[in-house]
Amino acid sequence: MISILTRAIMMSTPLLLGSVAEVYAERTGMMVTAIEGIFLLGAWGGFVGTYMTGSLAVGMLVAIAAGVATAAVYAAITVLLKQQQIVTGTAINILAGGFCAYFQRVLFGIPTTPLQISILDRIPIPFLSSIPVIGPMLFNQNILTYFAYIVIPVSYIVLYRTSLGLAIRSAGENPEAADASGINVNRIRFLTVLAAGAMGGLAGSFYTIGYLGMFTTGIIGGRGWIAFAICFLGNWNPRGAMFGTLVFGLAEAVSIYLQSTGGIAVIPNEFVIALPYILTIILTIAKRNFAVPAKLGVPYIKES
Amino acid sequence: MQPPVVEICHVSKYFSKVIANSDVSFSVGKGEVVALLGENGAGKSTIMKILYGLYSAVEGEILIDGKTARIKNPKDAMSYGIAMIQQHFSLVFPHTVTENVILGNVHGWIRLEEHDRKVKAIADSYGFDIPVTAKVGSLAVGIQQKVEILKALYLNARILIMDEPTAVLTPQESETLMQFIKDFASRGNSVIFITHKMKEVMEVADRIVVMKAGKVAGIVDSRSTDEGELARMMMSSDLEPAVREDDTEAGSDVLSVENAVMTDRSGLRLLDGLSFTVHSGEIFGIAGVSGNGQDELCEAICGTSHLSSGSIRFMGRDITSESVRARIDAGIGYVPVDRHRDGMIGQMTLSENMLLKKSYGGEWVHHGFIRQKELDNYTADRIKQYQIKATGPDDSAHNLSGGNQQKVVLAREIDAGKHLVVFNQPTRGLDVGAVERIHHSILSEKREGKAVILVSTELSEIFALSDRIAIMYQGRIMGIYRNGELTTEEIGLLMAGVDYEKAQ
Repeated sequence: MISILTRAIMMSTPLLLGSVAEVYAERTGMMVTAIEGIFLLGAWGGFVGTYMTGSLAVGMLVAIAAGVATAAVYAAITVLLKQQQIVTGTAINILAGGFCAYFQRVLFGIPTTPLQISILDRIPIPFLSSIPVIGPMLFNQNILTYFAYIVIPVSYIVLYRTSLGLAIRSAGENPEAADASGINVNRIRFLTVLAAGAMGGLAGSFYTIGYLGMFTTGIIGGRGWIAFAICFLGNWNPRGAMFGTLVFGLAEAVSIYLQSTGGIAVIPNEFVIALPYILTIILTIAKRNFAVPAKLGVPYIKES
Repeated sequence: MQPPVVEICHVSKYFSKVIANSDVSFSVGKGEVVALLGENGAGKSTIMKILYGLYSAVEGEILIDGKTARIKNPKDAMSYGIAMIQQHFSLVFPHTVTENVILGNVHGWIRLEEHDRKVKAIADSYGFDIPVTAKVGSLAVGIQQKVEILKALYLNARILIMDEPTAVLTPQESETLMQFIKDFASRGNSVIFITHKMKEVMEVADRIVVMKAGKVAGIVDSRSTDEGELARMMMSSDLEPAVREDDTEAGSDVLSVENAVMTDRSGLRLLDGLSFTVHSGEIFGIAGVSGNGQDELCEAICGTSHLSSGSIRFMGRDITSESVRARIDAGIGYVPVDRHRDGMIGQMTLSENMLLKKSYGGEWVHHGFIRQKELDNYTADRIKQYQIKATGPDDSAHNLSGGNQQKVVLAREIDAGKHLVVFNQPTRGLDVGAVERIHHSILSEKREGKAVILVSTELSEIFALSDRIAIMYQGRIMGIYRNGELTTEEIGLLMAGVDYEKAQ
């Protein structure tokens, strides 16, 4: 039981980072539909960086850089050229898949055995990790998970208690008003998407350097989209994203657990794997009163 | 002597060769309230947007406190103490009042409680009763406007520009606003407000700048003028010769509107109990400054909006609660004021646009399939008849110029409206040639025996075409007269809400 919960927290980490990244961007009016591709490039970047240098820290930096680069392409097309966000994101996601598969082959050929890297160590926090039940669950995780813990309150404060947050939220609700108040809407949108790219890249790297220790092109498998959905379900705020993430992390942990034990006879294994996805659909239908940023997905074009 | 706070010197502005402002000069003193008065499109908002840095002037300069000011954006304007409250508020609805006020003017950490107190204190100093922690979207329009004013006060604005501030307010709210303007000016600040309502001008302004066709038509002291003089200055006196034929005998009743009332969500009356009847073979002109309920009236007749109370009878049948489609089928055509939003689909072909209102069935749809050939033939025929400049029926609507797009809508609606065609500002934004052509079409519909409603803010158009003229002001009809019964000045007074018979 404890191991399932520990695993749930662990599997929540990338979803949390990804969905909070999405919260920031969507609050400015930018749907980062390239999130799946950002995750994938982050995962690949993390793997390549670590494999080449043997350093996990370098791997993480490469992952962040890869995420930012992908986000920069996305932002250039959607913010500067005012193109349709969903189409652009989809194109980038497809491109990202091909990019990783191709350069993986270019760099490493076709190895006979899968290339392995060592993964991030669990760092038990003194005292806290020896608390019964929740100690090992919460405080015996890797550094990315600890980082995710900090991201929640920090994001809450940034969004609701700083001028930056006010500007971010205004840009997505009424860009004209923000502009009239002297805020450069397109600049804030561009930079927020880059920041989301950095977080998304780091989130993606969790799957290679924090969990599997290897890279496959299908490694993300729609989890970027789940982070995207969690942002909606969490009503565009970090606290909601946290709850949403935990639900999905738990579903994923249960699913992994059941697969490893051979499943339960009455429930088909396929259903268990599909659980997080089914959950997304049910929650989306069940939830009402979405506080959608009014100008989500709408390019800001200034009249002259 | 102290220089005026604001001095606008010989400012001109063009929008792709159309003159918006030409050689505009006037000044505003300390503690003075100046009204900018004029018809729609007279260039009032443009000159204020230049002063606020939203537009850049082509020629001329602006002096603040006697020194040349370089105002390139609203931020620059704010640094000179200029604030502008636009017709469409720039408020972030899901945010609180305080958050809206401090937007763009805080850095780093926000101590919300402290800001709440500060904003509340400013509000109190002018007697505004505003819940600073409430979400702006939940407040009434009058309060939202006060939030806009608070934004200006928070920045210590000393020059306040207001663009038609009372347009959205109830009379009571307007009254408090007028009080505020007087109060604010008496503290040594200056106010410029744009309006077309003479009552307000006379009540609150010290000086009045009358604008006409982008130019200053005159600057008068409010104590030494009267509404008649202002109306004369506002209106264009050179009317085009009428192409209308002599009055014809009124035919049978086609449309009767009885006591029509429409209210918006906040309870503001957009239509305030108006009644009239339109006959066959008659052009019924509706004059008035835009935004006085004309759009709502048209929508009520065509069924896109419904009345709160009152009734509409069409060809002897009560259609008050019938659907848009039923009204189309009954023979009502509608040329909407915003053709891009309500009249056509730019990405579709001309044929498809022609089909829009008849896609349920009728001559071009057979068992659910479009009879493309017949439709194209019809469209080609209309292109020829209306001299629409297009490559053919399969040309996309957005490839056409504004005038030609309007002809497409016109062709469709004239055919759809077998008994009644409603034209809402049919020539707005069109060049002279297209206007001529459209006027010709409207007159020929009258000759066909149809009833025609023509809403226009251009008095010249109303005079040229209408048999009878109704003047709308704040959702009411100020009077219905035969064409020729009233002078331009008298209509101008009615349009401004002054009952001229009483005024005499």
